[in-house]
Amino acid sequence: MAGRRGVKTALYRLEDSADRPIIWLSGDWARAEHPPASETVAQSVGSAAAVVVIDGSALDNAHPRIAAFIHGLRGLLSQRGMGVELQHLPENVSALMQLARPAPARAAAAPRRPNSLARLGMRVRRRWGTAADTAHLVGEALVLTPKLVSGRAQTRWRDFVDLIHETGAASLPVVTVVNLLIGAVIGFIGAVQLKTFGAGMYLADLVGVASAREMAAIMTAFIMAGRIGATFAAHLATMEANEEIDALRMIGVSPFEFLALPRLAAMTLMMPLLYLYGAVLAIIGGMVVANIVLGTPPASFFERLQDAVSGTQFVIGFVKSVAFGVLIALTSCYIGLHAGRNAAEVGRAATRTVVACIIGIISIDALAALCTNALGI
Amino acid sequence: MAELTSDIAADDGVIVRDLTMRFGDALVQKDLCFHIQRASIFVIMGVSGCGKSTLLRHMIDLQHSGNGDISFDGQRLWSSDRNERAALQRRIGVLFQSTALWSSMTVGENVALPLQLHTPLRPGEISDQVAFKLALVGLAGQEDKMPSELSGGMQKRAGLARAIALDPDYLFLDEPSAGLDPITSQRLDALILRLRDALQLSVIAVTHELPSIFTIADDSIYLDNQTHTAIAHGDPCELARHSTSASVRAFLNREPLDDDA
Repeated sequence: MAGRRGVKTALYRLEDSADRPIIWLSGDWARAEHPPASETVAQSVGSAAAVVVIDGSALDNAHPRIAAFIHGLRGLLSQRGMGVELQHLPENVSALMQLARPAPARAAAAPRRPNSLARLGMRVRRRWGTAADTAHLVGEALVLTPKLVSGRAQTRWRDFVDLIHETGAASLPVVTVVNLLIGAVIGFIGAVQLKTFGAGMYLADLVGVASAREMAAIMTAFIMAGRIGATFAAHLATMEANEEIDALRMIGVSPFEFLALPRLAAMTLMMPLLYLYGAVLAIIGGMVVANIVLGTPPASFFERLQDAVSGTQFVIGFVKSVAFGVLIALTSCYIGLHAGRNAAEVGRAATRTVVACIIGIISIDALAALCTNALGI
Repeated sequence: MAELTSDIAADDGVIVRDLTMRFGDALVQKDLCFHIQRASIFVIMGVSGCGKSTLLRHMIDLQHSGNGDISFDGQRLWSSDRNERAALQRRIGVLFQSTALWSSMTVGENVALPLQLHTPLRPGEISDQVAFKLALVGLAGQEDKMPSELSGGMQKRAGLARAIALDPDYLFLDEPSAGLDPITSQRLDALILRLRDALQLSVIAVTHELPSIFTIADDSIYLDNQTHTAIAHGDPCELARHSTSASVRAFLNREPLDDDA
């Protein structure tokens, strides 16, 4: 059987015989586009012989590829209980062959896959572990908050100020754009629909209630989950990978107190402020659209808004935004502090944070809707 | 001071001529001239912060912040066009200080990626290469492990297997023994020597580990952080005994300098 596949292809020839098959290697392996794969050649060797001879007397050069091929072939044949005898190999190839150590014997049998009941049990146990860690985190936050408020927490106030800036002022541009546009979209859809029924005057009710009670809080929370939650998780995961968190533990500092608590405080403070800012901008967006589409003057829109949107709507949105802030901070810190110790885990931590925060935000919002409905507010 | 003699053929090994490196306005090293012979092990020495790794990064074309000329077998690195430089880079293998194994890939995938990107080899042929390169560095059968599952010494060896995946002519090692215990470090030194002999590699290593320097180096250069230039060039064993520079002798003999006394 010949392995000639073109001018640049490495050559081999198998002289198959029952007692002593010989593989003749020849040609220029350095320039071969496709040197033969050991698996292909091993398959064409019959199983009857105890020893296969590999002869390199016709090789043009001593490229490392030759040694790689022989190494692979020797491994495959040894799995079938066959030995390999090398003859007339170039000196460098022989030296490389001596340097390459064979793989240690594989473990006799792979561990058996646990049955479905055991897998279910392991899953429950993992989930229970996550739930216990989360409860621990929330408990730690509750216990340490008074310490932070009284200024006794082991944290750097300079970090806290930086975090306030990062979560607050630095988030303003994106919060502005998104809320303004969301208000305008609600206003436009509402104007088109309400105009059909001659109820255009109620656009201020729609925009006001939707923005103050739901959209401003939710959209701002989504922005903060993507912008700040992902940043927190990636930063803490990187610190974990670089052993910076271990270094904190070694100097007797609680990583939660030093790293998570200021983030929690910054988010809890900034989220409601950003919500109020976002709600006002969403209403302005709706007001502009009402003026353009329905011709409603801003003064009339504002007058109607005062009648339609009570302070309660803002209180509901405000309370929800505090809850969203706590959720984003705790989720991102939990995931960041529990990330693995490599670069891939950093990206994974950021993604997991955003996904978990979005699900959490929607869940909290749904729960709040049920509660406010039950309470009749 | 390292100097080039006129009898060096232009196409022989690596030649660095009048290399000056800067970080912004700060001078790192100036007027570096040296020659690295084929199939030899050349060590770049010096105290921390003298610019050893910066020199290595210039030589492998990851950084270019100065003047001068670096040529590999007569091919001038910085005056070559993009394709020539890319082809030259494929003849260079690098073991980074932190190993820089791609953490999301298995050890086998780490070694296979350069072969998949730069050779026409088929999967079966690549498997042979990967298994062999791992066997060469003593990691046979570890293809499916993630880098995070390996010890520090094993990660270094996996990084070495990746560095020699494309059968390079030049192997650059940045602090190969850093962070390793003496036994693992000695094994790595022995491996580097064996690979140099078997693959006829030109090895350029940045290190300040004295046992490694004395074990592996055929030739060396000492970069000084006071004068910002190379103040010694030669066999480190010879330099330890006969260098005219007190700081070179102090470095190689692990002795305090008079200034420190």
